[in-house]
Amino acid sequence: MAETSTRDTILAAIRRGKPDLLPLPDPIGFPPNITPDNLVESFMTMVKTNGGRAIRVSSMDEAKAFLATDYDLSLPVLSHVPGLDISNFTPAEELRLLDTLHLVVLEGIVGVAENAAIWVDEAAMGIRVLPFITLNLSIVISEKNLVGNMHEAYPRIDTSVGFGTFIAGPSKTADIEQSLVIGAHGSKTLTVFIME
Amino acid sequence: MKTASPKHATAAETFVRDEENTDWHNETLWFVRSKRDRAAQTIPEWEALREQASQIKNHALSNLDNYLIQLEENARRNGITVHWAANGDEHNQIVYDILRKHNATKIVKSKSMLTEECHLNPFLIKQGIEVIDTDLGERIIQLREEPPSHIVMPAIHLKKKHIGDLFHKHLGTDAGADDPQYLTEAARIHLRQKFLMADVAITGVNFAVAETGGFVVCTNEGNADLGVHLSKVHIACMGIEKVIPKAEHLGVFLRLLARSATGQAITTFSSHFQKPAPGQEMHLVLVDNGRTRQLASPDFRNSLKCIRCAACMNTCPVYRRSGGHSYHSAVAGPIGSILAPNIDMNEYADLPFASTLCGSCSNVCPVKIDIHQQLYKWRQVLGAAGAVEPAKKVGMAGMDALFSRPWLYRFAGRAGRWLMQTFPSLANKPGLNPWAIHRDMPQPPEQSFRDWYAQQNKKTNG
Repeated sequence: MAETSTRDTILAAIRRGKPDLLPLPDPIGFPPNITPDNLVESFMTMVKTNGGRAIRVSSMDEAKAFLATDYDLSLPVLSHVPGLDISNFTPAEELRLLDTLHLVVLEGIVGVAENAAIWVDEAAMGIRVLPFITLNLSIVISEKNLVGNMHEAYPRIDTSVGFGTFIAGPSKTADIEQSLVIGAHGSKTLTVFIME
Repeated sequence: MKTASPKHATAAETFVRDEENTDWHNETLWFVRSKRDRAAQTIPEWEALREQASQIKNHALSNLDNYLIQLEENARRNGITVHWAANGDEHNQIVYDILRKHNATKIVKSKSMLTEECHLNPFLIKQGIEVIDTDLGERIIQLREEPPSHIVMPAIHLKKKHIGDLFHKHLGTDAGADDPQYLTEAARIHLRQKFLMADVAITGVNFAVAETGGFVVCTNEGNADLGVHLSKVHIACMGIEKVIPKAEHLGVFLRLLARSATGQAITTFSSHFQKPAPGQEMHLVLVDNGRTRQLASPDFRNSLKCIRCAACMNTCPVYRRSGGHSYHSAVAGPIGSILAPNIDMNEYADLPFASTLCGSCSNVCPVKIDIHQQLYKWRQVLGAAGAVEPAKKVGMAGMDALFSRPWLYRFAGRAGRWLMQTFPSLANKPGLNPWAIHRDMPQPPEQSFRDWYAQQNKKTNG
């Protein structure tokens, strides 16, 4: 039981060394700097800043039309968005086979106007690796699920879920001479549909 | 105690010999610092946000034992296996035991300064395990068999030409090709195969949450997620100071982290891991490695608030002009210089002196660590422990004698002016006067301020 003793040694050392209890700030967070009537516009601006594309649509058909124009939907496509039936791919149990995915469409749960981060959780993904392994990613989010800042986002997401992530743009890197390159390991494009 | 060798100064001298590269390095990091300023200025409550982050961290450290117990309980309930490691060796052994249990030989790893601190990679490679760093910058330096020179931009010391040559040799890219887009694509193809074939994924941890028993990993490239979600086993390694009480506190830190690091509003992926996926195994390794010692020191404990954003490096005039490798430690720059001596006072005694104490690091720190004050305090500790190099000690004793005796000071001033006027070449000889290395001494004034003042007084009164 070496590990148990390491645990106890560490905890005992913390008890000996820690300062007297300091208070937590109260309240946590700040009200948003973006007014409710500016949520959509600010969110869309930030999607672009993050290297993605933001399109406001009023129906799934409209979103589908955009996707059909921009992507070859005869390549492997998987949509987990109700009403957006463009899937032509049945994922096998072997996750490595998902490597051929051309486009994945997911439903965003909460979108943050200040940074255009979109919360997508396990329920919305089905398979955790989907938004990362696909070449192109699209997220559909309802306008009424936009909030001003991160402090407003946390109360609206289920943090007890097995896995969830804030996605803010296509994957990117600037590790070579600080030159921004879109499309590092994850998706190379991100198209966000804001549903009215 | 052994005294410090001026390692940083010596290594920096080699770095600055390439003037063009030094200028580029300096300007590039300053550019990142300016992006950080612009991002911070978009948030009117930025200063109050820093204060909140600082207070949350102070609180968490003051109740660290209970939050770690809570984290452990909730993580276990979520199906995560929790391990405790007193030091780097224990940490490495725990990771290796998990790999052996699964007969794993192929590992993909995302960025973790903790595993860098514990020297996990060399340890695993010695055991015959393939460890692939998947962050582009980390892969670059791994192929060059170098340590990272920056905690957020590990290959910032390299130009694209170096990387083009490196990829030509290792990944078969065209000779002479150095377009970042092309090189990144080549790395993507190369690493995609590694992701698909990996047995186990190792990641660091940006924040662990006591309340949920989960942890958050932030990347721009998506490499942590690709590795984790494609592997049967996920091992996440964290220093014990990374725990925060509640999920709502993440809102504060995620607003600060990327803005401070690169000037982005948030990292591309902020992934919250709570439970292993069906059929997957998840491990969380909690590592002390000197952190409880740091916690017990009132002068230095608040360095444990660090969220590894590297804002202090980007702004530091010494870091920008000496390069990360000059710090010969896993974490370079101002924050590294106050963390490293706690791990090994002998080895890193030079680092607290690699600073002008200008205070810029403390001003940009998103969690308000008093970095420059701790640099100063480390100098006192090292001085008392006899770890200061002899030349510096003699110099300091000399200055002490000089400044505490006004008559001696006046005499020395006159003698100095005479010397510099009579033998200017002597004062400019680097061998005799270390200040003259890379500098010319100024023209000595005709008289001291004190003499001039006395003269003025005489004129006015007389």
